[in-house]
Amino acid sequence: MGRGYTVEESVEKYLTSLSAAAGSCKTGLLIGQCSAQKDFVVLAVKTPHRESEGASDSRRVLGPLDDIDADWVAEHARQVSRMLPGGVNVLGLFLITPPELSKEAQNKLKGLIFAVDKCISKSRLWDLSEDDVTDRVTLHICSKTRKAICKTYDVKDPKCSAKPADWKYLSCISSSWPVLTCSVKVDLQIPVTESSSEKCMKHGLGRWAKQIEAGLCLINGRPASDDSELLSGSKKSTKMSQQALQVQILVTEEDPVQRCSAVVQASSGSVHVRGTVHCRAYIHTNKPRTRHAAQAIKRDVVNTVSNRVEMLLEDLQMNEGGPASEQQDLPRRVFAPLPGSGLTVCDYMFPDETAADVAERLKEMLDWESAEEDIDTSVESPADEGRDDGAAQDVPIESMTEPVKQQKTSQYYAGVAVAAAVALLATATSLLYLNE
Amino acid sequence: NSARYSYDAICKSFQALRSRVSSESLVFTLCNSSVLLWPNKGLQSTAEHLTEGTPCRDIQQYREAEDGGSKKSKRKDKRDAGPSVVNLKLLWEVTESGESRALSLCRVAKQQHSARMPLCVDCVFSASGQDSVCSGLVGALCGQLSDMEEVVLKYRKGSSLLLPQPFHFQLPESSGLVTVIYPAGVPDSQLLTVREELHGKYGLPSDRPYFRRANAFHFPDEAYKDGYLRNPHTRLTAPNVEEAKVSVVRGVYSYHHYMQDRVDDNGWGCAYRSLQTICSWFQQQGYTDRAVPTHTEIQQALVDVGDKEPRFVGSRQWIGSIEVQAVLNQLLGVTSKILFVSRGSELASKGRELANHFETVGTPIMIGGGVLAHTILGVAWSESSGDIRFLILDPHYTGGEDLQIITEKGWCGWKGPEFWDQNAYYNLCLPQTPKTI
Repeated sequence: MGRGYTVEESVEKYLTSLSAAAGSCKTGLLIGQCSAQKDFVVLAVKTPHRESEGASDSRRVLGPLDDIDADWVAEHARQVSRMLPGGVNVLGLFLITPPELSKEAQNKLKGLIFAVDKCISKSRLWDLSEDDVTDRVTLHICSKTRKAICKTYDVKDPKCSAKPADWKYLSCISSSWPVLTCSVKVDLQIPVTESSSEKCMKHGLGRWAKQIEAGLCLINGRPASDDSELLSGSKKSTKMSQQALQVQILVTEEDPVQRCSAVVQASSGSVHVRGTVHCRAYIHTNKPRTRHAAQAIKRDVVNTVSNRVEMLLEDLQMNEGGPASEQQDLPRRVFAPLPGSGLTVCDYMFPDETAADVAERLKEMLDWESAEEDIDTSVESPADEGRDDGAAQDVPIESMTEPVKQQKTSQYYAGVAVAAAVALLATATSLLYLNE
Repeated sequence: NSARYSYDAICKSFQALRSRVSSESLVFTLCNSSVLLWPNKGLQSTAEHLTEGTPCRDIQQYREAEDGGSKKSKRKDKRDAGPSVVNLKLLWEVTESGESRALSLCRVAKQQHSARMPLCVDCVFSASGQDSVCSGLVGALCGQLSDMEEVVLKYRKGSSLLLPQPFHFQLPESSGLVTVIYPAGVPDSQLLTVREELHGKYGLPSDRPYFRRANAFHFPDEAYKDGYLRNPHTRLTAPNVEEAKVSVVRGVYSYHHYMQDRVDDNGWGCAYRSLQTICSWFQQQGYTDRAVPTHTEIQQALVDVGDKEPRFVGSRQWIGSIEVQAVLNQLLGVTSKILFVSRGSELASKGRELANHFETVGTPIMIGGGVLAHTILGVAWSESSGDIRFLILDPHYTGGEDLQIITEKGWCGWKGPEFWDQNAYYNLCLPQTPKTI
């Protein structure tokens, strides 16, 4: 009773061509969507060649399997997962080896799978829910016989053993997957202290992420909290055109701690993140539930903001920071269609970059040539010249309304019917006597 | 200098909040339903027939039936022919359509204080059935935010900011509610000048409290968290006495009786329970912050005033009206009048005096005599015929807080003069109210 993976035919072609280029071992990522019943793989991407690959020192005799750098594979996986919209994730890894290394391949795959999962979940701001599938798939392909062995590992349990899984190819799996979209306004003010600004940022973003996670989600105007089916009423047909679903997210600002006074902290500065982000998620067509769709889009909201902030801070670190107080544009989200499927992937374009830079990154990370025209940069607006008062405030104070209850009393007019009026009077009088 | 900065920052924050409340991202959700309303967007809503012109009373139908069926609630509604309460909650929509702004990150490096203050907005808006839904609700919200801003500014000390908390009060001669914002953590005793101003503003007498936190209006749809029944006498029908004037206790009390609080006082605790009922009255009318005393605390108070020996504490000894008077004085600072009748049959002639007490003072009365103690909550007395009934709350009840049983079986009920032991003598303790606000 293992998992069953339904895989795009284009993936088969890709893996075959990779295996044909014989030689040393090759690793790569398998990308798709998991659900309770079925799992879908829509893309395979080989791990890019590491330029500074250590020259094979003759001081150690290592096998080609040991040459595979788990950290490099994991880092690639982390960067690729930033390029995936909501609902689409790195599901596992493939490993192509010559026949003589087939035996050690499984062990290597297991180590890689856990390394990849650890790296991807490091900077995640949301927690896994009970619904989330924690099985990751490994595919070992023998370069000579082209035989593929598919197994899964549960990344929740480091001591687990591999479980067999089904792997079958099908065409046009994702061509009609519905896409959920929304634009989210972000307005966060996070106080930071000099010593732990990163921790403060993470904490501030984490609190916002929890708000989003707990928010009410409307899909095409209907609440998406229960177990109802997302695509009820629509007949399932392979030639069905892709449905676009509009999402709205409503949040409350509840503060469970009962306090008497405001929380005041001394800080050495604050970070203000403001603007609008475009969010997108895909959901499979195998009887999806509204709450899974809601979860996918909410996670995309959180991911896109935290990824961008992370990218900017990484960039600043590399370039020795910048002036202390200033406004910087976070990279803009752009989308590119994934060939042979109904999905898009995304990338983040810094203000000084062009579509050509994006295309280059897509080639490097996802191993495919994309035409510059295909890259959709219109989804988010570019940074504008006119800045309004993002500049320093003297003592920024953040306050939020926490609506606990709002009540309204409405008084009924007794003038509905004459007969009724008399009865009402009688009740009212007796009440009067008894109350005061 | 920092005081000036904090003033500006606070004002700026509240201004930002007010514009947020008036923006299109404000959403109301109707409690117990799935209806969402966008009041600042031409009343866009998720309910089909709700428009700007829909009268308030129509909103009721969108509320899902609470427990039971509609039949049960219909019967209740006939009795509670008062205003009906509709609860709304506030949400913010974070998604938007239309023009977007690029995401930017702005860093300010400056030594400063950041304050984070949750504001529990609790706004009451009275509307007649005909008024359209949501007209003025947003205005009321902004108004409350401004009132909160005043309170935050007034009570700030250095970098300490107190949270503003709204309380609703129902004043006599008016059916609407008045909302007052009090700073959290500042006890009522320190807010006397605020209350004096309010009494002046609303033309209220200065001899009894109206604006203490305990006086806050209790919404009919809210349950009391402590589990005690409130004012079971309001469920009774008026006694059948011709030309009688009915005078009953004013305000709110809790029904205390045998076996509550896991104390088995069956057979000896009746006067203690009556005393607890009286203490609950003083607490809920705002005369004291003190919680209702336990049997032990009552006994300890009597030891403290020298009325009893220390071994009295923990015993199962009865107390009478004199002890009740002493405890009320010791624990609550309340004085009481004692009324004595040598024979129970004389109580029938005390109609005028008792009616006068309820009309002018309004506190529950503890009566002890024979071997029993009770609480008198009111009288129905006819001046012409002398016919009289007593509204009795019986502390000897040992069951659970079942309002139906308590009223139907007479544990709270109107009794005739034959209820008293005609030959025993009785002492009545009539607690007086301090003249404070």
